[in-house]
Amino acid sequence: MSAAAQARTTWFERFAGSIRALMRVLRIIVRDPGLAFAVGLILLLGLIAVLGPVVWNKDPLEIDIGNILAPPSASSPMGTDDVGRDVFARFNQGARISLAVGAAVVVIAGTVGVLIGIAAGVFGRWVDAALMRMVDALLAFPALVLAMAVTVGLGIGLKTATVGIILPSIPFYARLMRSEVIQVRSAVYVEAAAALGAKRGRIIARHVFPNAMTSVPILAAANFGFAILTMAALGFVGLGAQVPTPEWGTMITEGQQYIVTGGWWVSLFPGIGVLLAVVAGSLLADRARDMVDPRRERDI
Amino acid sequence: MLKLVLTRTAASLVAIFGASILAFVLLRVAPADPARLLAGPFATEEVVEAQRVALGLKDSLVSQYFRYIGDFFQGDWGFSFSVGRPVIDQIGSRLPASIELGLYAFIFALVGAVICALLATYRRRRAVDHTINGFALFGLGTPPFWLALIVLLVFFGILDILPGPEGRLSPRQEAPPEVTRMYTIDALLAGQLGTFFDAGKHLLLPALVLGFAPWAFFFRLLRASLLEVSGEQYLATARSKGIRRWTAFRRHALPNAFLPTLTAAGLIFAALLAGSVLVESVYQWPGLGALVRDGVIEQDYAVVQAFILIGAFAYVVVNLVVDILYGVIDPRTRTGSAVTK
Repeated sequence: MSAAAQARTTWFERFAGSIRALMRVLRIIVRDPGLAFAVGLILLLGLIAVLGPVVWNKDPLEIDIGNILAPPSASSPMGTDDVGRDVFARFNQGARISLAVGAAVVVIAGTVGVLIGIAAGVFGRWVDAALMRMVDALLAFPALVLAMAVTVGLGIGLKTATVGIILPSIPFYARLMRSEVIQVRSAVYVEAAAALGAKRGRIIARHVFPNAMTSVPILAAANFGFAILTMAALGFVGLGAQVPTPEWGTMITEGQQYIVTGGWWVSLFPGIGVLLAVVAGSLLADRARDMVDPRRERDI
Repeated sequence: MLKLVLTRTAASLVAIFGASILAFVLLRVAPADPARLLAGPFATEEVVEAQRVALGLKDSLVSQYFRYIGDFFQGDWGFSFSVGRPVIDQIGSRLPASIELGLYAFIFALVGAVICALLATYRRRRAVDHTINGFALFGLGTPPFWLALIVLLVFFGILDILPGPEGRLSPRQEAPPEVTRMYTIDALLAGQLGTFFDAGKHLLLPALVLGFAPWAFFFRLLRASLLEVSGEQYLATARSKGIRRWTAFRRHALPNAFLPTLTAAGLIFAALLAGSVLVESVYQWPGLGALVRDGVIEQDYAVVQAFILIGAFAYVVVNLVVDILYGVIDPRTRTGSAVTK
């Protein structure tokens, strides 16, 4: 067999291997109703965010004074708001914003937090002490209060609010990662790698990092829900996305004064959106945690 | 024990110091110019400049920081220009309403969580466990302000059995004589049952909504630790001595399972504090949270900044007290135990 053919076989084998891994993941998901529900919800919301604004091509910002507070109907499935904008179009756009905020928070806070945790765990001593004191200062605020402080300080808006949600998220990643690194760094395989002459950077990148990362996705799922909920809260208070932007929390505020007088649909649907997104995140984190640590589900 | 108290207090002081620096920096970088706000939009540049000097905005950052902290501890928390009163007066006048609401929410959350955790674990009924667990997931995921609106729609708008968003009492109801300034307690002290029921009816919805997230926290923790504790050998020992299952559960499992929930007190406090900002304004509840939301809308940031620093301060103190209490209740967590000495 020629070298090229051999390379092709291994590529093919690797491909088959990843398909097999994918099937295994799918089987796990299908067998666990809670997990299937959470994954399904996230896929559904993702679908709404990606395809919603394309399929339902009404302008979420278009004002129609002749058609204000119209109840849900075939032409506007979620009704219209107090200036005649289509709530369904706004809901779809809001899904985009919320999921984007959730993803941005998880990626940025996760990266920064994980790096801090690794640095603290690997270098120890004063680096550890200094980094952890900084993290403690962030933890001295209740999360929403810190998010409010940052948004007031940096100027109100969607971007600053996202920064405001990232800051209280960082400590959780940093602390988790630090404790995992401290456990992993004295493992036998790390010592073995060092004994074989591996450089410090290689040991961290190839052995410590992947093994310490195992619980981070669980935290990320919970953090995703937290980010969406906090963004909605900031929007409701008036510190998040500003008025015409169809962010879910801001939309709930817009419907607040009409809810009792009959215009319930303006606030109801964006709230359901937030609820589903956060429940999906927490449920995913729950199920994943139970899988990693089956001890927790012991019966009496 | 003393060592524990001292080290934890020192750590908390460091945390408060860090938090105050963070609050100060945010206050400095805020785009709103306090001198311009005080002088008004039509003042000339010279007047604003003089105002800056008068406010000490030209001093070094370090001396500004120490004055800021000094003022804070002396009760000078700034001036609320939208209402025309010092911030501390406003916060003081609104605190009792928030405390009363938070207290009832906390009681609902705690009592509800203990009952639900027992239902979910003691009887071993999978269906009950799953149902309550599902509710708790919703408790963590529901935006409190949205839930507040929905229950208002159901119980006031549709069923019309509870009062609408009109604050702590019906418009024609007179407030009870001031003692604690918590209306339900004051009304009982004065023997005014009508006022008591009116205040209670107004409290019910906001307290339930505000307590929903803390209930979910409590319940999940308590359930998890009940499940963990119930596998311990001391329970098997107690059962083998012939103690009935319920007695063993009540005497041995519950107290031990309760400990971890204590560490969540900070979390619960944070949820109540955040919830108050989000729930009070929906019910026109004249408390601290509604004040903060109004402050944001009116761009009256002196109020918001005071709230931020008080919130951080109270949060650190709550966590400190919990840490020390934990050391008192569970000797194993004390630093400097017999093993290290």
